[in-house]
Amino acid sequence: MAYKRRQNKGETPKLDMTPMIDVVFQLLIFFVVTLKQEDILSKLSAARPAPDPTVNKENQPDTTTIIVCNSGFLLNGMPVRLDELDNRLSRVSRSSKTAMVLVKCTMDSPHKFLIQALDVCNKYGLQNLSILSM
Amino acid sequence: MAKPRNDQCEIDMTPMIDVVFQLIIFFVVTLKMTTDTNLDIILEDGKHGVIIKEDDRPPSTLEIELDRFGTISIHNGKMSPDMLNTIMRNRVNKFGNQFPVLIRADWRTKHEQVKKVMDICTTRGVWKLSFVAIQEHKAKKD
Repeated sequence: MAYKRRQNKGETPKLDMTPMIDVVFQLLIFFVVTLKQEDILSKLSAARPAPDPTVNKENQPDTTTIIVCNSGFLLNGMPVRLDELDNRLSRVSRSSKTAMVLVKCTMDSPHKFLIQALDVCNKYGLQNLSILSM
Repeated sequence: MAKPRNDQCEIDMTPMIDVVFQLIIFFVVTLKMTTDTNLDIILEDGKHGVIIKEDDRPPSTLEIELDRFGTISIHNGKMSPDMLNTIMRNRVNKFGNQFPVLIRADWRTKHEQVKKVMDICTTRGVWKLSFVAIQEHKAKKD
C-alpha cells in the first residue's frame, strides 16, 4: 500500500516556479523590445473628373482652380504660399462647402504639393475635389 | 525566550505571474512580424485627412504603392503598369467600380508617375481615389 504511506507524511508537494518565471520574463522582454509603433495614416480622397467633355468645370462660377507646379501653388495664375492658399480656401469654404475645387498638377510637380493642397481642402471640409493633370 | 521561527517568509507569486501572462498575451497579439508595405516610401503629412483604421477597411480595398522612382508595387511586390492594369480589370469584374483605391505614393514622386496609376484606375471606371498621408507620427525615426 504505497499510496497510503505517502499520504501519511502530510506534506504537499511544491512546484518550483523559478524556471517558468525566467522563461516568461525572457518572452516579455523579447516582445517589449520588438514592439514597434506605427504611424497613424489618413486618406485624402479626390475624384478624377468624369470623362464628360460637355461639362466644363473650369468655367463654372463657384470653381476654384489650384495649379500645383514644381515650385509650389498657383491661384488664378499667381504664385501663392501654402498659408495664403489656406486663407483663400477658408474663405471659399465659408461661402459654400460644396464648392468645386479643381487641382491641376503639372507633370514635374512632386506628389508632396498635391497632398498639401488636398490636406488644406480637407481642413475646411471641401469635399468636391477633382484632380487634373496638365 | 522565544525560539526563532525556522520557516522562511514566502512571497505569493500568483498575482505577478498573472500580470506577466497578460502582458505576454498582449504583445503576442499585437506583434506584426513582417511588414507587407514598401519601407522606402516616405509619406507626406496630411493632418486633416480621414484616419485609416485597419479594422474598418473593407477587404476589397486596393492599396497601390508608388516609390519615388515611379515603381508600382502592391504589398511590397513590384509590378509593371500592365500587371496593375490586369489586377484592376479583375477587381472591377469582381467588385464593380466602387471599391476603395488607396494610392500610397512617396512625397518625392513626380506627378507624371502618379498620373500613370490614376490613369490605369480611371480607364477601368474607378473615379474616386484616395491618397495616403501621415496623420500623426508615431514610429521612431532611424
